[in-house]
Amino acid sequence: MLDYVPYDDKTQMDRQIQRYPKSFTRVPSRPLIKRPLTLSERTGPANLQERFQAQTADLSRTSARAVGQLISVSGRITDEDGRPMSGCVLELWQANSAGKYIHEIDRHKAPLDPNFSGQARLVTNKEGEYLFNTIKPGAYPVLESGWWWRPPHIHFSIFGMSWMDRYITQVFFPGEPLNETDLLLNAIRDPEARDRAIFKYTGAEMGDESLMKYQLDFVLRGKNKTPELP
Amino acid sequence: MSVASPFGTIGPYFPSEFSNGTNDLTNKGAARGRKITLTGTVVEEGGKPTFNTIIEVWQADSNGIFRHPLDERASEADPNFQGWGRDRTDEHGRYAFHTVVPGALEGRQPHINVMILAIGLTRRLVSTIFFANATDPVLDCVPPESRERLVARQTGDGEYEFNIILRGENETPFFED
Repeated sequence: MLDYVPYDDKTQMDRQIQRYPKSFTRVPSRPLIKRPLTLSERTGPANLQERFQAQTADLSRTSARAVGQLISVSGRITDEDGRPMSGCVLELWQANSAGKYIHEIDRHKAPLDPNFSGQARLVTNKEGEYLFNTIKPGAYPVLESGWWWRPPHIHFSIFGMSWMDRYITQVFFPGEPLNETDLLLNAIRDPEARDRAIFKYTGAEMGDESLMKYQLDFVLRGKNKTPELP
Repeated sequence: MSVASPFGTIGPYFPSEFSNGTNDLTNKGAARGRKITLTGTVVEEGGKPTFNTIIEVWQADSNGIFRHPLDERASEADPNFQGWGRDRTDEHGRYAFHTVVPGALEGRQPHINVMILAIGLTRRLVSTIFFANATDPVLDCVPPESRERLVARQTGDGEYEFNIILRGENETPFFED
């Protein structure tokens, strides 16, 4: 049986962040309660591929190529014991190259791109790998803050094997000046853990479609499965 | 051994396409069992409704079966029942799910697992919705005076209400994650 130990707070974002007011009005004031994990928590929505019609995705074009820097993003999803997690559904969403989302509450005065939806669903292969092409997202201001600019990032929502490894995050790009001041990225205090929220640049390719390549592996919770007898 | 990746906030711009049409777990009523509507509001400190909060649920079908390889009875799971659902709160902080009353499973009272994702939360919040304040290994972990907070209130025929108070007076109990 897979074991799901609680997230180690040292490797995670702080729950409350100075100058991020909603973290003070929304994070519960009472301590979280320990509970046993039964079948209900150890199972989860592991079979959403068909319902979502998820597939390998190219966000960089609809009928025509979206405006911006073409990139590929790839990586592998494993559990804490390094076992590849195949058949995981990923939901991705991101701003366009001008830092604008297709969303009713995005008030940033930047143009939308008719050829860029900024969202997709895909599935990991047998080796737990994912791969998609997209446009590098732009930075954008958090208008109500009066100062905070979000560095370029891509959001990931991942459905693993169980309710316990349901995972949401956002991944940043290396070398961005705004990374230094971002409230969320820097809420991961441990530099090593912070690096695990930043893509690795793995080179540029030249060809029919020339692009820059980024890579990030994810580790979902789950370990210590009893070895299966032969 | 590897270390679990850092969780992140869902932020304000989760695509509405991802939360449209995902709050009906019954395949338009075709699922077996007692159909119910589960509604409620999600509020933050001061009782202020939260808009644009994402709620996901995971539950057994009306016979207490999960469509998942770990459930030995998975092959008997109701083909018309989706154990998973998602909704987004409106400007009044309201959400709604169309589902069935989950069956009891070994050692557990009927219940629905629920998680909250919102601006301001760098991690998801997880809790459990029950239908009665009765002995259950998870509900028993909650201080007795707070257990009623995890029980959905019947408000009509097939209608249940479960309000979520993220922070403040009568705060909803949440579990370690």
